[in-house]
Amino acid sequence: MNLDRLRPAILPVAAVVVALTIGAVIVAVDGSSPLGAATAIWVAAFSGPDAIGATLEKATPLVFAGLAVIVGVKAGLFNIGAQGQLLVGAITSAYAGYRFAGLSPLVHLPLCLLIGVVFGALPAWLAGVLRAKRGVHEVIVTIMLNTIIFNLTDWLAGGPWMEPGQVISRTPPIVGSARMGRVAGLPTGFVLAMLVTVAVWFMLEHTTFGFRLATVGANRHAAHYAGISVGAVTVAAMTLSGALAGLGGAVESLGVVGRFEPGFNAGLGFDGITIALLARVSPRAVVPAALFIGALRASSSELQAGAHVAPAIVDVVLGVALLLVAAPLLLRWLLRMPPSLSTAEVQFTRGWGS
Amino acid sequence: MRRTGVAAAGLLVLLLGVTSCGGDDASSADKSTAVKGFSGDCAKKEVFCVGLVTDVGKVDDKSFNQSSWEGAAAGAKAVGGGAEYIETVDPKDYAKNIQSFVDRKVDVVVTVGFALADAAATAATANPGIHFIGVDAFQATTIANLSGLVFYEDRAGFMAGALAGLLTKTNVVAAVLGTDKVPPVVAFGKGWENGAKYTNSKVKVLTTYHPGGLDVAFNDPTWGAQTAKQALDNTADVVFGAGGNTGNGALLEVAKKAGAYCVGVDLDQWETMPGAHACLVTSAEKRIKDGVVLLISQVHNGTAKGGNFRGEVGLASYHDFDAKIPAEVKTKMDVIVRDVGSGKIPTGVN
Repeated sequence: MNLDRLRPAILPVAAVVVALTIGAVIVAVDGSSPLGAATAIWVAAFSGPDAIGATLEKATPLVFAGLAVIVGVKAGLFNIGAQGQLLVGAITSAYAGYRFAGLSPLVHLPLCLLIGVVFGALPAWLAGVLRAKRGVHEVIVTIMLNTIIFNLTDWLAGGPWMEPGQVISRTPPIVGSARMGRVAGLPTGFVLAMLVTVAVWFMLEHTTFGFRLATVGANRHAAHYAGISVGAVTVAAMTLSGALAGLGGAVESLGVVGRFEPGFNAGLGFDGITIALLARVSPRAVVPAALFIGALRASSSELQAGAHVAPAIVDVVLGVALLLVAAPLLLRWLLRMPPSLSTAEVQFTRGWGS
Repeated sequence: MRRTGVAAAGLLVLLLGVTSCGGDDASSADKSTAVKGFSGDCAKKEVFCVGLVTDVGKVDDKSFNQSSWEGAAAGAKAVGGGAEYIETVDPKDYAKNIQSFVDRKVDVVVTVGFALADAAATAATANPGIHFIGVDAFQATTIANLSGLVFYEDRAGFMAGALAGLLTKTNVVAAVLGTDKVPPVVAFGKGWENGAKYTNSKVKVLTTYHPGGLDVAFNDPTWGAQTAKQALDNTADVVFGAGGNTGNGALLEVAKKAGAYCVGVDLDQWETMPGAHACLVTSAEKRIKDGVVLLISQVHNGTAKGGNFRGEVGLASYHDFDAKIPAEVKTKMDVIVRDVGSGKIPTGVN
């Protein structure tokens, strides 16, 4: 195994180590024990089947959202609407999950997942079409669609799709035939996330479509001259991105929440941007990045109860790690890394004008 | 070369450390009345432990999480025990956060907010040895070891509305409220209307609910301010702001208009909204802290019961307006507060 293949991992791993160190110092300054915090994270995130299951459950939607953002970025598109697409996937699959009761699990579960994928893809497809046909920037469109979707899902969950006989805005529970449980302690949603990761990696690295997508992302004009239909690739990349986010929402509803309830999926789509950055836009790195964040998030309860550490520390650590990944110069300077180790810097997205 | 790098890292760490230190000072001042920490190993019989799980939010939110936490800390202290809290970051973790305290074998678990009601009921059924207190969690069915601390919001609204009816010069009062999807908000609003009409038969009440969903209805101070402005333009001179930040926006807007009064909600907002001192005549209070303290003492001496426990409601002090309110109004209000509190004067809201 030659070391060159590990090189892209050096920067994010170093960033995480530095961020955790800074986090430990903050914990110490705050009067708590960094060792206690580390123990709490270990206990809550890794110490047994339940803890590992919790970490995997937290990581699952992050994998999907991260992949969604990556597929966009590879094509030079910044899908900031992953959050909205994820919500659409979550609420439509939850609706199918309680409404179409009586089906066999073999039909019902795949149907719910498919519905989440299709409806999650829909708003992203719209943004892609507007980008391809009219040149409307996808950032603007997806942000606006996010707002529309937040309010639409709120209205559905508190109105026509609200669980009767109680006052909280939420849908009725998803019936058993559409629930994704755990098999041998392993959340099935996470297994699905792994499979989808492999599929996305294969698609991006080993298929003609993936090559076209990357070419459009690298230089749209060159791609156009090479005979690639930039518009078609743009629409396809956005649609795929939305489908992945929608699947993440569906898995969250069917596997973790058990219904749709506004607020329960908050931030997951935006975390996808974090994951994509931390993974340096590489699908192979999405699972470790999601596991890292998932482990931190899974330990928020234990950090407070066991180590008396404010849960905000998790966000501080993530913020520092991201800052260092996004600004590799800073990290290189801090750690005196030779420039060659971080040459493969990623251009996250193109400018507004190009 | 190497040394400068380490020095730079050290500097960065120092900077971050100092920042965190400053932040902590500020928050510890806010929480000065409530000390966090169990008094020993909760598994031991003689050690009395109270664990509190917040709704998504912080224990220094100057609202129901804070009142509940102050109650938990004071209640535990009063019986010689200690209290700790877990702030919920992700609503999917409600059950897990409760379980953290169950695993530590606490005596009382306090959950804050209606959203945690289901998780509290499930945990209470599974752990009959622990008493649960659900703040704002109405109990439709009684579980022996789960007390729902709920309030007659209509009564608090009625009391505040009665004062408004007496204070208004234009005979127009207004209420700027969070969403009508949340029953306590509606109870506040209806109580306010009926209270104003009780003391002033000519009064006109302008009631506006935020049209948005739960995620924005309580966090839209701009809408609150605009709605309050409209009410003032329509000659309203007493405005009730009830709906978290949305209501706070209304209070701040009314404070800009000379001679207008505003009324806060949930806790004495004189303490939490200095910007509204120019208009804040009182607040329609739910005495969450007192309720939590009382329930904890009941658990300690073994008299706590399951089902709903009605906490006290009332009006906060008039503070700076004490001298400006006519004595006859105060006398009338004392009677109304007493009789509404005892149920002798019906609020007309059910």
